[in-house]
Amino acid sequence: MEKTLLLTRSNLRKNRGTSVGLFFLMFISTVLIGISLMIFFDALPTARKEAERLDAGDGYIMVRNGIEDITGEKIEELIKDDTDRFFVYRNLQFGAIPIPFGTGDVSIDISLSDSSAFSREMDRVEVILEDSSVTGDYIYLPYQFYTGGGIRLNDTFDFELEGVKYIFTVKGFTALTYGGCNNAGLFSLVIDDNTYNKILERNGETAEGLMIIYELKDGVSNGRFKIKNRNELLKINPVAIVAGFDIDTVVKSRTFIGLILAVSFLVLTSLVVTAVAMMLANCISNYIKENMKTLGALKAIGYTGKDIKASLVFWFFILSVLASITGIAAAYLVMPIFANIVIGQMGFPYQVSFNLPAAVIPVVFIILFTVTVTVICASKVSKIHPIVALREGIESHNFRKNHVALDKTSLSLNSSLAMKTFIGNMKQNVITFIVTGFMIFTCVIALLMYENFSRHPKLEILMTEMCSGVVTFDNDTADEGLDYLKSRSDIKNIRKIINTNFYYEDKESLFTYIVDDMSKMNNRDLCYKGRLPQYDNEVAVSGAFAKVYGIDVGDEIELTLGENSYSYLITGYIQTTNNNGREAIFTFDAAERIMNMDHIPAWYWFDLKEESADSKDNKAATDNVLEDCKDRFGGHIVNTMNFFEILEGSMTTFKSISAMMLIVMCTISVVVIALILFLLIKSLVYHKRKDYGILKALGYTSGSLMLQTALSFMPSVLASVIVFSVASYYLANPYMSTFMHLFGLVKCSFDIPVPGVVIIAAGLAIASFFLALLQTRRIRKIEAYNMLVAE
Amino acid sequence: MKNIIETKKLCKTFSNGGVQQHVLKNIDLEIFEGDFTVIMGASGAGKSTLLYSLSGMDKPTLGSITFDGTDITKMNNDELALFRRSNCGFVFQQVYLVDSMSVLDNIMAAGLLVYKDKKVLAKKAGELLKSVNIDETLWGKFPTQISGGEAQRVGIARALINDPKLVFADEPTGALNSQTGKAVLDTLTGFNEKGQSIVMVTHDINSARRGNRILYVKDGEIAGECILGRYVSGDKERHQKLAGFLATMGW
Repeated sequence: MEKTLLLTRSNLRKNRGTSVGLFFLMFISTVLIGISLMIFFDALPTARKEAERLDAGDGYIMVRNGIEDITGEKIEELIKDDTDRFFVYRNLQFGAIPIPFGTGDVSIDISLSDSSAFSREMDRVEVILEDSSVTGDYIYLPYQFYTGGGIRLNDTFDFELEGVKYIFTVKGFTALTYGGCNNAGLFSLVIDDNTYNKILERNGETAEGLMIIYELKDGVSNGRFKIKNRNELLKINPVAIVAGFDIDTVVKSRTFIGLILAVSFLVLTSLVVTAVAMMLANCISNYIKENMKTLGALKAIGYTGKDIKASLVFWFFILSVLASITGIAAAYLVMPIFANIVIGQMGFPYQVSFNLPAAVIPVVFIILFTVTVTVICASKVSKIHPIVALREGIESHNFRKNHVALDKTSLSLNSSLAMKTFIGNMKQNVITFIVTGFMIFTCVIALLMYENFSRHPKLEILMTEMCSGVVTFDNDTADEGLDYLKSRSDIKNIRKIINTNFYYEDKESLFTYIVDDMSKMNNRDLCYKGRLPQYDNEVAVSGAFAKVYGIDVGDEIELTLGENSYSYLITGYIQTTNNNGREAIFTFDAAERIMNMDHIPAWYWFDLKEESADSKDNKAATDNVLEDCKDRFGGHIVNTMNFFEILEGSMTTFKSISAMMLIVMCTISVVVIALILFLLIKSLVYHKRKDYGILKALGYTSGSLMLQTALSFMPSVLASVIVFSVASYYLANPYMSTFMHLFGLVKCSFDIPVPGVVIIAAGLAIASFFLALLQTRRIRKIEAYNMLVAE
Repeated sequence: MKNIIETKKLCKTFSNGGVQQHVLKNIDLEIFEGDFTVIMGASGAGKSTLLYSLSGMDKPTLGSITFDGTDITKMNNDELALFRRSNCGFVFQQVYLVDSMSVLDNIMAAGLLVYKDKKVLAKKAGELLKSVNIDETLWGKFPTQISGGEAQRVGIARALINDPKLVFADEPTGALNSQTGKAVLDTLTGFNEKGQSIVMVTHDINSARRGNRILYVKDGEIAGECILGRYVSGDKERHQKLAGFLATMGW
């Protein structure tokens, strides 16, 4: 052991630069794994822990539009056999109301409660931030408005309910389970009792609703429970609007940004860890080459191959221990930045805390990985024979062909000598090619996310269908409204789309798009297999749903609504990140087989005829259409939605994550390339020190040798940049499809801006050149005289 | 005779672990054009240090070195490199050809620093290689594929490619057997006869005989000088004169 330690100490002393380079690569890997696991094991479980703490039970059913017949006794009768306990409270419920969030609005169902919300038995609401000095018309908003929505205490907050505008002052922010996050489809707001009563008086008939929070008995299926009771509630009041979510869906919808972040980091880690493995292999191979004589001498005096191997393993083991422990510490230091992104969507307070698995797994992984790679790569030490090693006879140059003859080449002197170095160092070229390529791919993925989530948000990520705006007319004015919209010269593609929930064999609810004309759908990527339905016996369902139940295109599924049901032929799969991937689409004729459409208001979706590149102009143009409709039809307008405004609000959390990812990924890429170049150039300069000495003696300046060396890396960098830019361009969408599969998108067609890829490729190539030039500074220290007399 | 190099109070001190070692002490010296100057001395006397200081490869601690009218001690490393390109040629004991370059490329790599026209340079490199008896079949080979004597002659060709004012040779036969060494010395002598100035460090009396001026370095100083005149093969009197000089120097 002592002799191993002796050799290890000597290795660490002699190879400080290599050790430092490898240390940082292992360090970065640990930081990335650490952050991913902290998100997985610590941040994301917060949502469930908080739900349990706030006693949210197993889910909720909310019902409105006539609740007078749905008495407490009836509810108890319906659900007591399936539940251990339940709690019912009254609130005011409104569908698809645009409310301020982030830099725009978000159109979402809202529930309003009075101050009794703070003293509920179940589904408790807890105040996190409060300004008790605020009085009058005040509102408590879910915490996500603070963390992800950019709203602060004392801000003015307003929304419009059926033509009446309500203005509040923000008094506080709350932690609550249901209605706490925009991705869960509902925001629960607590308002002052006075305003609550006013709204109750004005809209109570349709808006007053019940919220049934339940905790199921063991073995009761949440899906079946919800569907069964929805149907029972509809029996009591056929026009009631019933919705509900189970706790799993709510928790998932509040944590998927964190999941994207964690998975992205793990993917990046796998690339960095591959770079670590390549560099370890390269360093060990160089070590053996550089220390051949020493190894021969050590073997000659009695060291065994095992002793030498053990010293190498111990050397890198020490490095991995130091790097992984400091890496985990650093991960904890930077975690608050990423925690803010997670909280921004989760909407629950979260403090970074020590998590044993998240701290131990990265350390153990990096150490085991390093030791394994070292043991494999150091195996050739055992094969070294002392005499051969002493003569340095194992590794010798084996130049067979003069690829760049100086008397014939048309290249400049520096370029031709750089080419010679390039050709003579294939291992270095392969590593540079692969690592640069990995980093290009990483940056292109980050660019794709930035472009599609932030710069020009792709609505398909969040919305099954996109448009410029929606006007909802009541039944009395539906035809007149349609004629008016058609008469306008500034809009086009007017179609009628209604959303409602249907049910699959009492097992699962499907959020369904009922569309009058499928050919007018803007989302061309919606149906990724088969086709959209055309006839009244057809339906397309989401792939995620179909996968769970083993349903194929061509099969039939029975959809129900209340007492009615019908077997539809599945014509295709659609993709969506919404509603936990449980969506369907069919025509009005198909819907009428099980649903009475007579009383349903007419939702007309339209597109602007000419869209501007500036979202603000589009927002204003859409507003113009909506305002004209309101002016013309007044109280007949049930609802309006400006998608450009909603987009701003809905994409707020995506924007922050994608911008952050672009910065993090590009920075890590540059750092990893810098470290790889540092290690490769350090080793190259060491191996070529004699040549540099000779060339300096002949009259080559340090600058010219530095330039040659930096240039020698450029063919592999440029090749990598070209090959991987093109490959990334074509592979990014298939890769994202695999990645986004987790979130319901199966076939992605994200935009990848070619200029962006070119900028990344050129930027990394230029950065690589200057980083290489920077690393070659050590050539300056080589003095021809010292080099020659040292030999 | 015109001098190429003139040193004044040339000193070189090495510091090792706080201990100062004065390798060259106040050397005043002139190297003349057309001479084959030989520097002799015991191991550690400072002869190689003197050679590399004179050639601008190493920097003296004190004193001045005027090379063809220019004080090279005031130059920085890059200026020295540019200076060496066209003024100095080097022949080393270990040859120091670049292993990854062919024989011809080793010459071209040095020549391209001065010559812009590759065709002219390639022609000149070929002529030089032929003049040092390196057959054309060897030009494309790599240094590890030719013998030590051949490699050293390639080294000489490389040293001469840029028509240097002075060729510095550090123990050029030190790593060669006597027959191969003789061929190398014949080559150097031949070029000197054509007017090439040479400064050679050696501790071999047979090599030293080739010079017309012998300087003996002892303890960092020029302890003595012996003028032999032009080399003539088989000149026994010359050998005796040199042997006598060396004896007086305590060699």
